Amino acid sequence: MAVASEPVDFVRRVARLGLWLAFLSSACQPPGEDAGAPFQVALLTSGPVSDAGWYAGAYEGLQMIADSFGAHISHQQTRTPAEFDEAFFAYASSGYDLIFAHGFEYQDAAIRAGAEFPETTIIVSAGGRVAHNVIPLIFQLEEGSYLAGIAAGSLTKTGVIGMVGGVAIPPAEGTFDAFEAGAKSVRPDVEVLVTWIGSWNDVTAAKEAAVALLRRDVDILIHNTDAASFGVFQAVREARGDGRDVWAMGMNRDQNDVAPELILGSAVIRIPEGFVEITRLWYDGDLPGEAYYAGSKASLVDYVVNPARVAEYTPELLALLEETRTGIREGTVDIPRIQFVSDEEANR
Amino acid sequence: MAELALLTSFLAASVRLGVPLALAALGETVSERAGVINIGLEGSLIAGALGGALGALAWSSAFGGILTGAAVGALVAVVFAAFVVGLNTDQIITGTAITMGGLGVTGAVYQARFGLTGTTLTLPPLSSVPVPLLHRIPVLGPALFDQAPTAYFAVVMGILLWYGLFRTEWGLELRAVGESPDAAQAAGVRVRWTRFWATVFGGLMAGIAGAHLALDSGTFIEGMSGGRGFIALAVVVLGRWNPLWVVVAAIFFGGASALQFSMQALGWDVPHQFFLALPYLLTLAALAGWVGRARAPSALAHPWPKTSI
Repeated sequence: MAVASEPVDFVRRVARLGLWLAFLSSACQPPGEDAGAPFQVALLTSGPVSDAGWYAGAYEGLQMIADSFGAHISHQQTRTPAEFDEAFFAYASSGYDLIFAHGFEYQDAAIRAGAEFPETTIIVSAGGRVAHNVIPLIFQLEEGSYLAGIAAGSLTKTGVIGMVGGVAIPPAEGTFDAFEAGAKSVRPDVEVLVTWIGSWNDVTAAKEAAVALLRRDVDILIHNTDAASFGVFQAVREARGDGRDVWAMGMNRDQNDVAPELILGSAVIRIPEGFVEITRLWYDGDLPGEAYYAGSKASLVDYVVNPARVAEYTPELLALLEETRTGIREGTVDIPRIQFVSDEEANR
Repeated sequence: MAELALLTSFLAASVRLGVPLALAALGETVSERAGVINIGLEGSLIAGALGGALGALAWSSAFGGILTGAAVGALVAVVFAAFVVGLNTDQIITGTAITMGGLGVTGAVYQARFGLTGTTLTLPPLSSVPVPLLHRIPVLGPALFDQAPTAYFAVVMGILLWYGLFRTEWGLELRAVGESPDAAQAAGVRVRWTRFWATVFGGLMAGIAGAHLALDSGTFIEGMSGGRGFIALAVVVLGRWNPLWVVVAAIFFGGASALQFSMQALGWDVPHQFFLALPYLLTLAALAGWVGRARAPSALAHPWPKTSI
C-alpha cells in the first residue's frame, strides 16, 4: 500500500489511465458540420444498434433519413443516464436540428435539453413528456400485440401461453396486457404466464426464463426484449429438438426470418418508416405540438404472420385477424391502451 | 410429481447458470492466489464469447469455438498482465480499462464483421452429454449428469486446481507469491513469471466461460457477458479462494438466479423485482455469514517489486 501514496507514482498512473481513455475514445469522433446537408439529425440509443431489434430499427430509420432528405446524420450510444444530458448537449450545441432519443428513459433529460436549446427539436420514442420542441413518438405496439394474442389464444394446444419481458417499464407491460387481452378474447380460460428478466440484452437469462416457462406447459412464447429475444428462440428451438410442439412469436421488429421454422409471426413496429414520417412532418413544419401516435392506422404497427408458417393458421383465424385489424384502425375494437402521456402533460 | 419435475428443472438450471461463473471464478482463484486481482475478467469473458462465436463459425464446431474463446480470453489477459505485472500499474484501474476496452472492441469487431444493425448467428450447439446410467438418477441426475461438456470440465478443473494449489510444490510456490512475494523471491521463486502465467490462465478460463455463454445461447450479442465477470469475482470470495468451494459457490449463485425464473414461471403474485434482486441478496447474506473469517491472499492487488520501475 505504501506504493500508492507516492505522488510521482500516482501521477504516472493517472497519465497511463489517460492514455488508455484516449485510446478508448479515439473511435468516437465528435460530430462535425456538413456544409452540403440541408439539416443535421442525431440518434441516441442506450443499447447497441446491432440488436436486430428496437435499436437496429432506429438506426435504419436514421439511415433512411439520410437517404431520403440528404441529411447529415450521427449516432451515439449512451451507456449511463449521466451521459444522456452530455449527449443532448453535445449534439444541440454543435447545431443538430433534430435529435431522436430512442427510448422512454430519455424523457427527463430531453425536457431539460429542450428548454436549454429551443432551436433544436427532440423526438423521444415512447416518451411521456411534452414541450414545444420535445415531442413523444409513441408506437402503439399494443395493437400488434393484441393481434398476436388472438393468434396465440387460437393456436395454443395446452391452453398455457407465456411472455418473457426485459424490464417492466410501462410500454413493455402494456404490450403484455394487450397480448393477454387478445388471447382471452378468443379463449377466456387461457393461462398467461409472464417472466421479467431485468435486462433487454441478457440472452442467457432470457433462455433460462423461457426454459422455465416451457416446463410449465407453455406452448407459445412471445417476448418483449431486444437482443435477448435470441435466447427465447434458442430455448424454443431446443424444446422442439426434444420433440415438443412449441412455438415462439417475435416482437418489435419483423423477426419472422430470424428463425422461420419456429416463429409463428411478429408484432412489429415499423420504426424506420415512423422516423421518416416524423422527419417529413418536421421538415414541412407540420409537427404537432403534442405526442405523435404511430399505430396501425398509419400501418406503422401490425402483426405479421410468418409466411413460412401460414399453414399453421386456419382460414377462420386469418379472417379474424384481418377483421380485428380493420376494427382497430376504425376504433371499433377496444383494446387495453398504454397511458404514455399523463393528462396533465397532454393538456399543456 | 409436478413439484418433483419442477425441482429437477430448477436444479438443472442452477448448474447451467453456474457453469460459466465456475469457469471464470476458477481461473480468477488461481490469479488471486498469485496476488493479482483481475477486474478485467469481464473483458476476457466478452472477448471469449465473441472468439467462441467466430471460432465456432470458422471451424463449424462447438469445440473449435471453445478453443478459440480460450485463446482470445488468454490474449486479453496477456494485455492485462503486461500492464500490471510488467509495468506494475494499479490492478484495479488497469482491470477497469480492460473491461471497458473489451466491451467496446468486441462490439466494434462484431459490427465490422456482421454489419451495424447485427444479425442472428446460428452457432453449432454445445449439446449436453448425458453420462450413461447416472443421468437417470431421479432429480439429481439431469442436474449433475446431463450437462454440457464445459460443466464436467469445470468440475474436473475444480478438483485438479484444488490438488495443484494445496498439494503440490507448484501450488505452494504460487500461493507464496500471493502471500509474501519477497519471501517467495528469496526462496528462488520467479515472482513476476508466476504472476504473469497465473493471470493468463485466469483469462483463458474466462475465455472458455465466455465461449460457453455464446454457444449455449447460440449467438453473440454485444455486452452478453452481462456483468458475469464481476459476479465471478464475488464467487471467488464466496468460495474462500478454494477451487472446490468456488465450484459450489458458483452453483449456489446459479441456483439463486435460477430461482427467479422458476418462481416467476410459477405465476406467484410477488413483485418480480424481488426475484431479480434475490441472487444479490443471497450473496450478501452468504458473504456476511460464511466468508467472515476467510482471508484474502496478503499480497492481493499489491504491485511487486515495491520499488517500482
